[in-house]
Amino acid sequence: MTLTIALAGNPNCGKTTLFNALTGARHHVGNWPGVTVERRSGTFEHGGSTMEVVDLPGTYSLSARSEDERVASQFLASPEVDLVLNVLDASNLERNLYLSTQLLELGKPVAFVLNMVDDAENRGVHIDVSALELLLGGPVIPTVGNREQGITELKELLGTMARGESNRCRRITVDYGHDIEGELAKLQTEICRDELLEAAMPPRWLALQLLENNAEAKRVVAESHASEAIRQQLAKSFAFLEPHLGADGATLVAERRYGFAHGLVKEVATAADDKRTPTARLDEVLTHRLLGVPIFVGVLALMYSLSFVLGKIPQDWIADGFKALSNFAAVRLPAGELTSLLVDGVIPGVSAVIVFVPVIMILMGCIAFLEDTGYMARAAFIMDRLMHVMGLHGKSFIPLIMGSGCNVPAIQAARTIESPQDRLITMLVTPLVSCSARLQVFIVIAGTFFTPFKAALAIIAMHFLGLGLAVLMGRVLRSALFSGPSSPFVMELPPYRLPTLKATLIHMWEKGSIFLTRAGTTIFAGATLIWFLSRYPGIANRQWTLEYQQQRQAVGTLKLPATESEERLKLLQLAHESRIVNTSLAARLGQKVEPILRPILDPDHKRAEAWKDVIALTAGFVAKEIVVSTMAVIHQASEEPKVGERLSPLQVALRDGSGLTPLTALAFMVFTLIYTPCLGTIAMIRREAGSWRWAAFTVGYGLMLGWGLAWATVTVGRAMGFA
Amino acid sequence: MVKVQAQGQVRQRLLEMGFIRGARLRVEKLAPLGDPMELVIKGYHLSLRREESSCILVRQVTG
Repeated sequence: MTLTIALAGNPNCGKTTLFNALTGARHHVGNWPGVTVERRSGTFEHGGSTMEVVDLPGTYSLSARSEDERVASQFLASPEVDLVLNVLDASNLERNLYLSTQLLELGKPVAFVLNMVDDAENRGVHIDVSALELLLGGPVIPTVGNREQGITELKELLGTMARGESNRCRRITVDYGHDIEGELAKLQTEICRDELLEAAMPPRWLALQLLENNAEAKRVVAESHASEAIRQQLAKSFAFLEPHLGADGATLVAERRYGFAHGLVKEVATAADDKRTPTARLDEVLTHRLLGVPIFVGVLALMYSLSFVLGKIPQDWIADGFKALSNFAAVRLPAGELTSLLVDGVIPGVSAVIVFVPVIMILMGCIAFLEDTGYMARAAFIMDRLMHVMGLHGKSFIPLIMGSGCNVPAIQAARTIESPQDRLITMLVTPLVSCSARLQVFIVIAGTFFTPFKAALAIIAMHFLGLGLAVLMGRVLRSALFSGPSSPFVMELPPYRLPTLKATLIHMWEKGSIFLTRAGTTIFAGATLIWFLSRYPGIANRQWTLEYQQQRQAVGTLKLPATESEERLKLLQLAHESRIVNTSLAARLGQKVEPILRPILDPDHKRAEAWKDVIALTAGFVAKEIVVSTMAVIHQASEEPKVGERLSPLQVALRDGSGLTPLTALAFMVFTLIYTPCLGTIAMIRREAGSWRWAAFTVGYGLMLGWGLAWATVTVGRAMGFA
Repeated sequence: MVKVQAQGQVRQRLLEMGFIRGARLRVEKLAPLGDPMELVIKGYHLSLRREESSCILVRQVTG
């Protein structure tokens, strides 16, 4: 038999660490049905019984205002849940107990984990566990999640509960005082007139939510046949309570709950000593008036160098491996359509996906580390003023930072923002932030047309342009789409903690595999599609293949020196392939679209091959990293530099053969930055915003904005005398 | 000493976070750019914008 355990607790209480300690690697990350909140579930076994643990999103309350809270309260109320495991942060017990009062009201058995007892001890807080058990009416296990202390005892407890051998759960109710209890009883009587309503959730819990003026509870009641009677009773209760107790229902309920929590803490815990905590000392520096911002910039810089300097090493190994595989296949297999598919389509496509994983993983690891240490909240604290001025939320800065790794997880990260408006705006502007896929394009283009120093400047400028545009568009979109106040900025600054290596590694692995599954499908499909578009119908032309083979044989009969013969063969191959590409479907498409982009890519109308850029950009709809691999295919030049050379053959081909100038190259970079999010991002926006409309909107405004700014780059640049 | 004058969502949120009548809070500092402020309430640290914190009525107490 399986026991389903819901893991509930405040944000930053160490819930996920505990989840990992309980379930180990046996867990699955998915989504809650209908919404986009992450659902983590896993199993463990104890004494022959299997237990399924579901990690709920961290919430301060169950009042169902944010998507996270809605998911948590709906799941907790469902019959699926056999046991609620409430994780409490021992060093911040009082506020953590607020949620516990609500969990107790749900009517399910609740067991408690007193986590991070070491932190509490360090602050001089000693907690009497048996007294806590008595007052909470459920078993309490003290743990230190990140050192896996108390996990065995916890499993033991859950095991006995699963086998029904424990009856340590008693019903404890918070006493709301004579007046409120009276009104609660009256409301419950009305609620119980509707059996369906009574069965849906404990009547007391529903009555409390009504007193709190909870919109979700009112919606539930509105569907009931007893709704009129309940509404009347509620109005009467408010009319009685508010003048009588001097506050509205929500305040009264919150006060009584905190009263319960406060009294409990006083009973079981000693007061924290007054000495400044390490967190306070760290914050003196990290959020210092003058030092705060430079430190934040430094942290960002460090994150980047870790990702792109350290990440480059495994990236090179992977790229070299695939290159060798591709060469091996080209030599061993007979020339033809299938070989071309494999060598020019499939292998570069897979490579373009996998080569990216190390950077994603390191960057996501850094972000997870910053989040787990508590610094991310400080980053939002430091940046909120700026973000708020621009119409965004301090929490929007986190997705924007993440966006520089990959827009896809960044849009997922926008889930932390409570207000749907702020969230939507953040999602719509995040694609403007240059991601590391675009970085690859910038590196190739800037490296070709600029000196290394200027190239670095140009790339940095692109990142700032992207961020600046995101912020600007945030403001524009807010005033254009919504009127009304932005959501409140009530954010906890949790104590600094050192996350475990395991937690960071698990997070890295999850993000990496999510990227792989999305990239594996979209990028790979895109690469294959582009291969098809750029090879057909020429590759199937038998006459051309025959001619090519005859020419090769003719070279063979000349009996030239080996090097000269090889060179001639290479020239023949290039001629053959460019014949195929120049007549391909992609070429026809590029020639059709090219006039639209002529003002930015070919202002003098001198470039015969400007359509090649168009093909590469079209391919970029699928994923930005494909822009480079498509250029490599279309220009028939390798992306990998030869030994001892700074530029790769592709870059040489771009410099000498494409007709791009430094100025149009810069315009190309600007356009690449803005013109459209990749397919993965588009799909993610659709999922997160809940409609294709917003996804299409993002593509549409991106194309227009991108064209406009690239055009401005060329026009202003030429006016200033650049070429 | 606290009373929350805000309405709707902000109000509920602040109540849940411990801004109830009689609670003690301390303003720790302002963010480097001057806006949100860092408060200590019920033994934990919280950041609030001026907008929201202006809805909270406080009375100064010593010690």
